[in-house]
Amino acid sequence: MLIPLIAGHRDRNVIRTASLSLTILASALMAVPAIAILLGGDPVAITAYAPAGLFSIGFFIDKLAAFFILIIAVVSACIALYSIEYVKHMEGESRRNLFCGCMNLFIFAMVLVVASANTIAFFLFWELMAASSFLLVMYEYDGRGTARAGIFYFVMTHLSTLFVLFGIILLWVETGSFAIASLTGAPTLMVTLAFLSLFLGFSIKGGIIPFHKWLPYAHPASPTPISALMSAVMLKIAVYGLIRFLITVFSPELWWGILILVFGTISGVLGVIYALKEHNIKAMLAYSSIENIGIIFMGIGLFVILSAADLPLLATIALLGALFHSLNHAIFKSLLFLTAGSVIKATHTRNIEQMGGLIHRMPKTAGLFFVGSLGVAAIPPLNGFASELLILIAFFTSVTEVEPLVKVLLFVCLALFAMTSALTTSCFVKAFGTVFLGMPRSARGENAHEVKALMLIGPGILAVACVFLGLFALQIIVWAGFSVPMPDMLLVGLLLILMLVLTYVALYFTSPRTIRVSDTWGCGAPSQKAGSEYTAHGFSQPLFMIFSSLYRTQITNDREFYDEPRAIFKSGTAEIRLLKVFEEYIYLPIAMQFRRLATTIARIQNGCLDTYVLYVFITVIALLVFLGWSV
Amino acid sequence: MSSIEFILYLVINTAVVLLVAPLFMSLLKKVKAKTQGRQGPPLLQTYYMIAKLFQKEAICSPNSSWIMRVAPYMNMAAILIAALFVPLVFVPGSVGGIGNIILFLYLLTLGRFFMALGGLDAGSAFGGMGSSREMSIAAIIEPTTIIVFAALAFAFKSLNIFDMVFASAATSVLATPTLILIAISLFIILIVETGQVPVDNPETHLELTMIHEGMYLEQSGRNLALMELSSAVKFTLLMALITNLIFPIGIALTLTVAGIMIAVVLFVIKASVLTVIIGLFESSIAKTRFFQLPNLFTMAFFFSTLIIIIEVFT
Repeated sequence: MLIPLIAGHRDRNVIRTASLSLTILASALMAVPAIAILLGGDPVAITAYAPAGLFSIGFFIDKLAAFFILIIAVVSACIALYSIEYVKHMEGESRRNLFCGCMNLFIFAMVLVVASANTIAFFLFWELMAASSFLLVMYEYDGRGTARAGIFYFVMTHLSTLFVLFGIILLWVETGSFAIASLTGAPTLMVTLAFLSLFLGFSIKGGIIPFHKWLPYAHPASPTPISALMSAVMLKIAVYGLIRFLITVFSPELWWGILILVFGTISGVLGVIYALKEHNIKAMLAYSSIENIGIIFMGIGLFVILSAADLPLLATIALLGALFHSLNHAIFKSLLFLTAGSVIKATHTRNIEQMGGLIHRMPKTAGLFFVGSLGVAAIPPLNGFASELLILIAFFTSVTEVEPLVKVLLFVCLALFAMTSALTTSCFVKAFGTVFLGMPRSARGENAHEVKALMLIGPGILAVACVFLGLFALQIIVWAGFSVPMPDMLLVGLLLILMLVLTYVALYFTSPRTIRVSDTWGCGAPSQKAGSEYTAHGFSQPLFMIFSSLYRTQITNDREFYDEPRAIFKSGTAEIRLLKVFEEYIYLPIAMQFRRLATTIARIQNGCLDTYVLYVFITVIALLVFLGWSV
Repeated sequence: MSSIEFILYLVINTAVVLLVAPLFMSLLKKVKAKTQGRQGPPLLQTYYMIAKLFQKEAICSPNSSWIMRVAPYMNMAAILIAALFVPLVFVPGSVGGIGNIILFLYLLTLGRFFMALGGLDAGSAFGGMGSSREMSIAAIIEPTTIIVFAALAFAFKSLNIFDMVFASAATSVLATPTLILIAISLFIILIVETGQVPVDNPETHLELTMIHEGMYLEQSGRNLALMELSSAVKFTLLMALITNLIFPIGIALTLTVAGIMIAVVLFVIKASVLTVIIGLFESSIAKTRFFQLPNLFTMAFFFSTLIIIIEVFT
């Protein structure tokens, strides 16, 4: 089953279009068996390579893995379709082929991570995924800030790998095997440590606050298809890892769930609060991804809490919500990234303050971005709402069931969840309003043109999926063999159309149908200027003020005066600076410590050949002694 | 049988809410005018105004797009569906999850989303200001709203508003202490969601101080009529949520013509009383400064959380 895939992905010598077409074909091939397994087919197990007893690489695809493979397949196919056109406009003649190859390798690695049957394979492909994505982030290696973003990404992603490896080793110490199989008995200290280590690894990869800082750097720096792939799919691999280990390996305890829930809630709220102040469109979407991963983690945390409280039915709803939100987020976020990429290509800027009025110049892209905004803002009856609804239902129902103290925690998290959702709506009203509505805010916005057809078809499919997954949410879940007490979104959709038609018909027959076009009132000014429009900064200013303590702005105000009573002003500077809290208080101190350590160690590396020969000699002696000792 | 009943419910509920909604807007203005020593508009004024606006052509800015033209319709449709979730005069059995309290909340968001985008569409500074403020207020009141709704779900052991009203109507005990506390929270939510004093002043004629009206400042003619009507419907259905949950006397549990007639009359009386209370409340306090609002909301939030904690630990 996987063999045509490997052929398709590895083919770097054929021209780019063929390569990307093969990606689409392979994705389609991958989606078919995945759907078959999801609908009750038997799990597939393949042993690919087993040189020695313990070290084998095997694949195992059950419903969970099939679900995530489906996510990868759908999103990759659409992104590949978009890339066929996008790559033509990329810089760097010789690098473009490599780009397609790397992208395919990246997708391939992600599929293999999900399909891995044991921890060795899981780790190997995890690392492959990290390495190939790093190369892709560094595509525009001479761009401003790319190197910094690349290094940041490289360090963070390897920290993640390190913790995953540590967790895997701890599990191996506990069980003596590399299989992803369930542990028996109550969690020992070793198992708890393994969980914490894995959780940390997956959190870093998933961009959970406070380990999120690589996302808003790496996403703007990398080419659009890669931002879309990383945000929509790669973060989901972390989610997959967490769910896989929680379900298959561990038998989680209550506090694990609380830990996941609390981290999820913090990421959700802070993610969207940071997204609000971001006016680089890609960084804004990256923060929004952090928020959505937070929501998914909340679902998972709730699942663990409810499982531990022995409420399997509610736990299933929470887990379904988390999984469904993974799928939905993959779809609307790749849609948003791709359309944002089109906008960036048309306007040559990432700053939303310089766009505006694009709905007249790029109407189709605007429509697609609009669907994505509705999805991410959890507006019924689209898909983002359907999955958040599942998690909310789990919250609402579980508060009557669990023990009192957990109840209070759940209420607090529920309130913050609701705020996250409402802030996201505000954030995307701002994004859509500033990018597409009103008048062009700069010449760049004025000269924009609609993109080519392929760059519309790829996101177009995703937009259709957004609407479809929203309307048929209940039917899909029932089809997959679960029953949930959730409203029928199809009925809501039909009622919406009915009400729209009724309103329209009622007005059609009762009032005049003409629309007169006349200038916006500009307070008496002869013509309205773009400068008088409400800006994105202005839009988020109220929330900015309200959450000012969270943004940690630093206001410095130095004044000099001519006289003693400080009345006659001479000169001065005033500055409002946004503190990068996590970077300045967490990341940099840790990095500084490591740097100090590294400088100490670097003294050993003096660059002289004879010293190195001495090191080799000492090593050999040490090895000999050690081997002699053990024999 | 149940589907016929449900279709009848759709027709009756929508018709009743559309017919009575403008009345309460005029009544509210009348009460406020009376307290200020003015005569106030006649009770049918809002009907006249909407009828007049329907006869006028719509004017759109050359900068605006389909968003501004679609927004009034989408907003109206969203509010009308939300209105189906709150039984005004008759409680049917729920079909397909209609009546789900979470969905109800998000349908209001759907309307607001389109309204806010409509405000940004013409490129006018006032529209953007209105949208920005409305979205900010909506975001910070949301935790309180969800907590109160969760408290409702907690108290009635159901997520469905139909079940809640049914349970409330079926019990002989009128209002339990919990319900009265929840009613106070719902009252705060009503004030905030419908943009009344102290959050927003619907009487203002100064664009700079507008919040809710600011968003549809650019709308005109029939589109403006839709916006005004949808605001009135939203006001009525949030009032219905309070009255029918706390004081469900007269609401019809079976479908009979006489029962519906009585229910309509009783609903108008109950909602009028509530409107008078809201009017007096508004007249007794001043509008709060915008950036003082979070304090007010934080108080509302802790108040609602307190209810929950009392509920949880007793």
